[in-house]
Order: sequence, then C-alpha cells, then structure tokens
Amino acid sequence: MAKRILIVDDEPRYLRLLEANLRTEGYEVVTAQDGMQALDVFSSNPIDLVLMDVMMPRLDGFGATQRLREFTNVPIVILTARGEEQDRVRGLDLGADDYLIKPFSATELLARVRAVLRRSHTQTDTGQVRFFTHDDLKIDFARAEVWRGEEPVSLSATEYRLLLQFAHNVGKILTSEDLLSSVWGVEYKNDKEILWVSIARLRQKLEKDAHTPKHIVTRSGLGYLMPPMES
Amino acid sequence: MDKVTLSDLHRIFQDLQSKPDWKSALDTLFISMRNSFVFDNVAVYLSDRQTRGLDVAYARAIGRGKTAEADAAWGESVANDVISNEHMVIHGPEKGSNRNDRMTQTFVLGIPLYVGEKLRGALLFVRFGGPEYSDIHIHVASLQAIWAAGLIERKELQEARAELDSVQRQMRLQDDFVSTISHELRTPLGFIKGYSTSLLRQDTKWDDATQREFLSIIDEETDRLSKLIEDMLESARLQSKTIQFKFSPIRLDALVRDVAARVRTHHPNLVIEMKIDVLPPVLGDGVRLSQVFENLFSNAIKYAPESKLIIGGKHVGKKVRLSFTDEGEGIPEEFIPFLFERFYRVPGERTVTGTGLGLYICKQIVMAHHGNIWVESVLDRGTTFMIELPADPTL
Repeated sequence: MAKRILIVDDEPRYLRLLEANLRTEGYEVVTAQDGMQALDVFSSNPIDLVLMDVMMPRLDGFGATQRLREFTNVPIVILTARGEEQDRVRGLDLGADDYLIKPFSATELLARVRAVLRRSHTQTDTGQVRFFTHDDLKIDFARAEVWRGEEPVSLSATEYRLLLQFAHNVGKILTSEDLLSSVWGVEYKNDKEILWVSIARLRQKLEKDAHTPKHIVTRSGLGYLMPPMES
Repeated sequence: MDKVTLSDLHRIFQDLQSKPDWKSALDTLFISMRNSFVFDNVAVYLSDRQTRGLDVAYARAIGRGKTAEADAAWGESVANDVISNEHMVIHGPEKGSNRNDRMTQTFVLGIPLYVGEKLRGALLFVRFGGPEYSDIHIHVASLQAIWAAGLIERKELQEARAELDSVQRQMRLQDDFVSTISHELRTPLGFIKGYSTSLLRQDTKWDDATQREFLSIIDEETDRLSKLIEDMLESARLQSKTIQFKFSPIRLDALVRDVAARVRTHHPNLVIEMKIDVLPPVLGDGVRLSQVFENLFSNAIKYAPESKLIIGGKHVGKKVRLSFTDEGEGIPEEFIPFLFERFYRVPGERTVTGTGLGLYICKQIVMAHHGNIWVESVLDRGTTFMIELPADPTL
C-alpha cells in the first residue's frame, strides 16, 4: 500500500515542490500550513511520515513535534535552514527522527524520505492514539486539552505534564522521585511537598470526589498510580 | 508584640514596599522611625566594587544639620572605621570642643551594612549636641541598618537586571538582523534549488505544463533574489552615504506622472486618480525620487490590491507635499512607528513578498533631500504615505 506523507509548511511553493516530487515516487501526500492544522490532519488520516517546517504561524514545527510525540512514534523529518544548528538539535531533542537542510535538492529529499521510512518500524495504524480516556476523564493529546465528562478542565502546563505521566503509565506505580524528576527536573527530585500540592490540585480539578480519588490514587510509601480501568 | 507596635510595623512595611525607588524608601524608613530614634544627619556609604573606596550613596539632613549644609559633620571618618573594623562604632564629641556650640558637639553612630554575608557599606547617624546613644537607640538603629541593606540589595539587583535587559535587547536586535537576512536570502534560493533539481531528476518525466510551472517559479524567485540583493546593496550604500545625489530643479508632478505611466504598463487594471495642483520645482535627484515613487506604488499594489490609488500634490508654504492614498485594510497603529526601520515587516505579512527594505530606502532618499516622509493609516479605511520636500529656493 502506498505510504502517506504529511507535509507541513506555510510557504505554498514548498508544499508544491515537496508534493510534486513525492507523488512521482508513488507516495500519497496530505498537506497542512501550520502546526495546529498538522495536528488536525494527522488525527484524521493515517500517516507514515511527517515533513515539518520550523517557522510557521500559530504553532511552529517544534511545538507540533512535541505534541505529536505525546501520542505517536510516526517518523518526523524537520526542514531547517543551513547554519541553524541549534534548531536541528532542538528538533532532534524534541523527538524528530531526521532533518533536511534548506536549500535541498529534489533527489536528496527523496533519498532522505526513503531512508527514514526504511528505518522506521512503526506500522501506520499503531501508536497513533490521539485521545485517552479513563472513566469520565478524557485527554486530547493533539490539542493538549483535558475534559471531565462534557466539561473542559483548565490545567497549568505543569499540571498537564504531570497528568501525562500517569496517562502514559496506566497501572504502574510512579514514585515521587520519578514524577518530580520527569515533570520538574532532577534538581527537584526531593521536593516532595511540591508534588503533594500539585497532585492535590490536580485531584480537585479531575476527581468527582477529591477524597476518594479514582484517577490518581495514592499507594502509601510507594507512590501514585492511575489504576487500570476494569473493562 | 503589642497591638500598637504591630500596627506601626505593618504601616512601615507597607509604606516601604510601595516606594518605587530605594531612596524614597529610605526616606520613609527614617521618617517613620523618628519617634523611636532621633537624629540630625544620616548618610549611607557604600564601598565601590572596583576601587574598594567609600562613596556616599544617600544623605539627608533632617534636624539641625539642615542649616549647616556641607560644614556639618557627616561621619566620614567613622564610616571608614566601620568598614575597616567591620564593627559598629560610636563616636562622641572631640575633647576640648566648645560645649556651647552644638554643631561641634557631634555624636556619631556608624553601623555596618551587610548584604548577605558581604559588607557593602556603612549607615551613619549624626546628632548635634547629643543626647548620647542609649542601648535602645542602638537597637533601633541596627534594625534600620538591616532594612536599609535590604533596600540597597534590591536597588543593586534592579540595576543588574536593567543592565542585563539592555545587553539582551542588543543581542536580540543583532540576531534578528542576521536571521532576517539569512531567511530572506535562503527562501528564494531554496525554491530555485528545489525546483531546478526537480527538473533535473533523471528518474522521472514531468509533463509540459509542470515543467513550465517549475521554470516560471525559478524565474520569479531569481527576480526576487536579485531585487533583494539590489535592495540590500542600495540600503547599505545609503546608510554609509556613499551614494552621490545629482540634484537639479525637478517638477514633481511630471515625475510622478512618468512613474505612474510606467507602473500602468505592468498593472493595467490599477486605477490611479491624480489630484495634483500646479507645483513649484524642487531641487532633487530625479532617478532617486522615481525610486521612492515606484516603491510607494508597488506597496499599494501589494498591500491594497483591490483599491484605487489617489495621488495628491499640494504646495504648502515653502514645501511641496505629495500623498499616496489607498483604500486598503490599513496598518494597525502599533506597527506604524517601525515601518521605516530596516528589515521591519508588519507581523503576519508573510504571504506578500517583501524585503523590509523598501520604506527604509525611501526614507533615506527623502532625508537626503532634506525632506520628510511619514504615514497615516486608519484600519479598514486605508493608508496614506506623505512626502514633503522643500521647494527650490533658487527659483
């Protein structure tokens, strides 16, 4: 089956260039003009590879890469300009698989796409789950939005990152040190009180009854977990 | 702590907190503590970080010192003692001084000022004619010293931050400049490279229409690149003032009509309305001034494509004023002050090609004519660029 590639760039001439060349190799192509649009397109189409420009309005390539990595392992190739080494490093650190330096030749583009697709073992339809649900709790990873039933819940950036730790590790006990180092940074790993306050706040927002939590449960002396849902 | 003390403290804390700068905060501190601690002169000495010498940073004459001005004692030598011994110093009147002259009967109290563990300076109180400092006085004065040190620390942090801010702003300007140039140059280059290598691919055949499409993109982007290089060189020349202007008497109305006619050949649909009075000649460089007009025409075409363009010309006093008015979307007020800056582009205008150099070049040229250029714009109504040049005084 033809591989489908998502191109994200705000310059119509880049979209046209990439699209024309990719089609000659038999790839299917879908396009988006900024990061937000890319997330929407991604969620409604199975995608094998993303070619992502960096400088874009609304949500830039870094932001979009970071969001995508919260729920998918799809190969991402960042398009950057020569000389902007820190951009490439940042892109790779955020989870991009490779980069292509502008200006690039058509043959280099195609070779790079082939190489990345060869390396990737991800199946088109796995690992791409945009929504997460846990009882009445729902997370939209692409938009970084959280819902309790029909009600949108407003979380701070830190609270959201903390919640993601649980959502990505359902049924696993996470220690205070784990949570503190991955959400706040290693230097905070002993600041247990910060975690206590944040979990309490998160429960206030997410739980029907913060005293008998269902989503984030305390295991005394061990840590915290999001219990698996009984199916 | 009793209720009265507590509410006094509360008020003092609040007053100090609300002062915008450290000096008025210190004023507040000393005045509000004067009930418990009387003095005539007060001074803060800070040791200079580089020279390690003492500088007076704050001084107030509150009591009898006011009339004596510079002749009064300000405790300089005591300040030195405080710093070198890192200790509080109390100093009474010199022996043999005239007991009847209060101003020579000085009682000085010097207290070290610590910021963290570091000795930063000394706080000096002077009383003329006593009384001597009692234990409770010394206690209150020490409390004021701790407070004063905190205020000084805040001041130093503010200064350090202001310095950092300005360094950062400088760096950002430089960064913006470099990244704008490189982005502007790379974009057309990227298209030329990409589309030409597409055509050169040996493993695929493009149909005729596609080939033409790619070739015309390459053509357009090459033009864009050369225009950009042209503009960059031009603006560099204007900035370094290496351009020789050839001034001669010129009729602006004729010049504008020429440029308009040229613009019409490329944009036959553009409606241009001329409302130009008979104008006296100006002393100008025709080639450069045409460049300015061309630029204003092309801006109007780019940013107000559906609108007609009204060219006005008036003789105002000793000046000739031209106006270029479109009925486009207008420019948001907050961007207007920056329009004539080099490489400035209104945010969000990335769909229209531009170098951010055009208006900068216009301004340089107009200034070289001792003229003025400015813009007036109303959102959803339109934009007017005004140029004012001095009429030729020799005619």
